Amino acid sequence: MNVHKHSHLPFWMLLTLAWRNLWRHRKRTIITLSSIAIGFGLAVLSIGIGDGSHNSLIRNAIKLGEGHLTVQPRGYLEAPANHKYLEDGLALSKSMQTLKLAGTIEPRISLQVLSSTANNSVGAALEGLSHENDPRGIMLSNELVKGEWIKPGDLRGIVIGEGMARKLKARVGSKVVIMAGKKGGDSQAQLGRVRGIFNSQVPEMDDYLIFSDIQFAQRFLEGEGAELSRQPVTRFAIFLDDPDTLYHWKDKIKAAVESKAVIAMDWQEMMPQLVQFIAIDDAGNYVFLLLILIMVVFGVLNTVLMSVLERAREFGLLRALGLSRRSLLMLVFCESLILSLLAIVVGWIVGGGVHLWFSQHGIDFTAMIGEGGNVMMGTFMDPVIYTELSWDRVTQLTTIIFIVTLASGIYPAIKAARVTPVEALRT
Amino acid sequence: MALLTLKDIGKRYRQGEVEVQALSGINLEINEGEFAALVGPSGSGKTTLLNIIGGLDAASHGTTQLNNIDISALKEAQLSDFRLFQLGFVFQSYNLVPVLSALENVELVMVLQGRHKKECRQRAHHYLELVGLKEVMQRRPSALSGGQQQRVAVARALAAGPRLVLADEPTANLDSENATALLDIMHTLSHEDKTTFIFSTHDPRVMDRAERIITLQDGKIVNDQEHHHEHSDKHEHIN
Repeated sequence: MNVHKHSHLPFWMLLTLAWRNLWRHRKRTIITLSSIAIGFGLAVLSIGIGDGSHNSLIRNAIKLGEGHLTVQPRGYLEAPANHKYLEDGLALSKSMQTLKLAGTIEPRISLQVLSSTANNSVGAALEGLSHENDPRGIMLSNELVKGEWIKPGDLRGIVIGEGMARKLKARVGSKVVIMAGKKGGDSQAQLGRVRGIFNSQVPEMDDYLIFSDIQFAQRFLEGEGAELSRQPVTRFAIFLDDPDTLYHWKDKIKAAVESKAVIAMDWQEMMPQLVQFIAIDDAGNYVFLLLILIMVVFGVLNTVLMSVLERAREFGLLRALGLSRRSLLMLVFCESLILSLLAIVVGWIVGGGVHLWFSQHGIDFTAMIGEGGNVMMGTFMDPVIYTELSWDRVTQLTTIIFIVTLASGIYPAIKAARVTPVEALRT
Repeated sequence: MALLTLKDIGKRYRQGEVEVQALSGINLEINEGEFAALVGPSGSGKTTLLNIIGGLDAASHGTTQLNNIDISALKEAQLSDFRLFQLGFVFQSYNLVPVLSALENVELVMVLQGRHKKECRQRAHHYLELVGLKEVMQRRPSALSGGQQQRVAVARALAAGPRLVLADEPTANLDSENATALLDIMHTLSHEDKTTFIFSTHDPRVMDRAERIITLQDGKIVNDQEHHHEHSDKHEHIN
């Protein structure tokens, strides 16, 4: 036979049937939707906390560290040494200033030194900062427990951490001899006076760092043969007003300053351990997300499969009346589609609401992490975490939930389409 | 030329270890406009025969021709379309889609046929009125009585304009008043629309409405006679 006419389930009828079928067991659908929405809310919260804490960690690491972008001698990161410095800081600074960068450029000097008092000697890193605007200085000046921060033009003043102060038995006003090795094997020394003592809770900083004005540190570079008129520095730390413009400025700065001797790096290249730590921590969040997804899969599968199994007779009737297998498959799949769309809407209302609340009010982890517990990877996390959610995350979560809920509808749809009218009608 | 021709239809199926011969040697011709009853005790093969005629089940051998179309040669998707455009069904129970109103249930098959929305609505109204359900057509099946549900099924079967309506014990779940009322409606409509009806039953009151009674026993036709219920005279049908 040549069958010219085919059955055709119009879209409006498909939607009507699917929508009404979904609400046949109102309670069951509401429970499924609620469980997906709660799961989704938890996922949004957990990812929001994860991203919030990581971003807080990164922001602090950038402020305490070497900025969003760092310009320094090529090879310094692999093998730091006092004789590796940028001889013509002035020229580099000028060429970067012509870029009219949205942010600040901070010249810095880092030196491996030996600090001594009459009581003790310890290895240290001397960090020469340009002036009071350096974010690192601003941040640590808030952590001062004794004395004050170095004032501009104070060419003897140093600030040390509590750990070092303890080792050196130094107080505010104590003299500290700072000695640095020279390339040739000789050494040079400068006398510093403790103006303040900070406590950042980060042992790597408190035990090891000495802060001074950049000019104090430049004297050591002069000893290495640098010309002070060219403003030698170890590096430039670049702080961007908008972190999202990182790669834009990275490219521009690379083009402006990179040479055989000079390299521009972003914070991820400067702090690979931090990136790794965040990746590992993210993996934990993804496991949690996976558990939620499994919950969602079973929720949808349960609802749609139950409704398919109990409607075998009805599907048999529809098939007997002439509804094609394909249309029946589409019908059940459409039910899953509507369920997943509803789940996403309800999920975002719940998850988005939870996120908005905690992004405004924050979650105080002080009690949970205790004193110093927020220190990790040489930086620290703010004890109050404000959840953060980027548009990328929103798209990512929506897509994942949508695909997962939709995929859970495939099996029930196939099962429904397999119904043979005779067997179904016999039951 | 007969509308429906069955030639040497046989049906075997396995039930566990046992092979069951549900039908054998069925030869039957049904002409356009006939109102025929398939009667016989339970297990005599009435439903199996109706399923084979309706393309819901395949015969083990033999051919089924409806309107010159060999149903036995059709593939599954073709059978589905064949049922949609050529046949109307009324089952014993659970005939209707629960989430659709009586009106929408009647429209459904016509919508699947690709008819225009307006035409579907007009025809559905017309047939629901004919079966006496004008007042309740917006109700869902759960708000209709068993008799009303069966009448909706009849309206649905006829509204789609089939060549043949198959009804498998349409009155099995109805009391005698509703059963005879349903049969009267079917009978009237079959005459008005010149639609051919084959229905199975073992209810004597229903049989009485039939114009032809085909009796099955153990999967074979044992009697086939015309039946004029006005005069109660019976003529043997030449098979």
